[in-house]
Amino acid sequence: MTRAEAVARVLPLLADEDIVVAADGAISREAYRAMDRPRTFYMVGSMGQVASIALGLAMTRMERVVALDGDGNLLMGLGGLALVGGMRPPNLYHLVLDNGCYATTGGQPALSREVDLAAVAAGAGYAWARRCFSAEHAGEALDAWLAAPGPAFLDLAVDASADDPAPRVPMTPEEMADRLRAALAT
Amino acid sequence: MTASRRLDALLAEGVGFVAGVPCSYLKTFFAGCAGLPESAFLPAVREDHAVAACAGAWLGGTRAAAVMQNSGLGYCLEVLASLHLIYGMPLPMVVSDRGDPNDFEEHRVLGQRARSLLDLFDIPWAEARPGAEAADAGWLVAAAEKARRPAVLLIGKGADS
Repeated sequence: MTRAEAVARVLPLLADEDIVVAADGAISREAYRAMDRPRTFYMVGSMGQVASIALGLAMTRMERVVALDGDGNLLMGLGGLALVGGMRPPNLYHLVLDNGCYATTGGQPALSREVDLAAVAAGAGYAWARRCFSAEHAGEALDAWLAAPGPAFLDLAVDASADDPAPRVPMTPEEMADRLRAALAT
Repeated sequence: MTASRRLDALLAEGVGFVAGVPCSYLKTFFAGCAGLPESAFLPAVREDHAVAACAGAWLGGTRAAAVMQNSGLGYCLEVLASLHLIYGMPLPMVVSDRGDPNDFEEHRVLGQRARSLLDLFDIPWAEARPGAEAADAGWLVAAAEKARRPAVLLIGKGADS
């Protein structure tokens, strides 16, 4: 399963009112291509801040907040994992699409094959944290993650092989922010 | 009412979420934060995560403010540059004003350049005036909202109240 396939598999599992924070780089672009929705926030920069942005939403909103993170992205801002674990918002669901490398920048290896991110999340205080490195069990793992008590964390292995590259999200950053703000104001 | 008049003044301006990292110049402000509801205060582990969480709260419709030592501006800069400043996110920031020649060495290099750094990124700033909590908070929130970008209130020794 490629990262784009995993993104396309997760989004239809969510309710319309769920809020998604999609990591900068390929994950945002693939989320837009697979299933654009008014309640998705597409990051273009600020690598390492997916969990922290999601936490600010989860602490101030009642809806479920789903963070679609990357392994390199999470490793850059590992303190965000401590914040979520320490604050324990029950409505935050954190998924790492783990390809073991920095795919957006050319596939340089990341340390995520050496660091057990789910163990770190569990140690930080997430109510539920699992790692799934077997493609045949990905579907069950996603279902279990979304049914688990929050904050819940799933480190899901995806193929490092290159996906068909998705184009940039055709909105300015300000348009993306305003669209989500408007969707959440109604 | 919290233990901090500056925090109370920000709450009166509609701030409903605060995230930050403590500074010894901001003890009173943080004492106030300790009295906020659990969902309204994030004791962040580093300043970049604090401002990112504020971005999330703002996206959700809650006016959010960050609080930190001026050394934290360095950690924040990439997030301000590639999140707040491009998405047009207002962010009132309460920042200690450390680094005068009598301060410890570790505070001087960034502290003495904090104003230049903020000017370089077109981030409006003002020095807090002791006793003028309401006016300072009014300026801070209006400056951030009007320009849809971060704005900074610098808290010198004696202005934390």
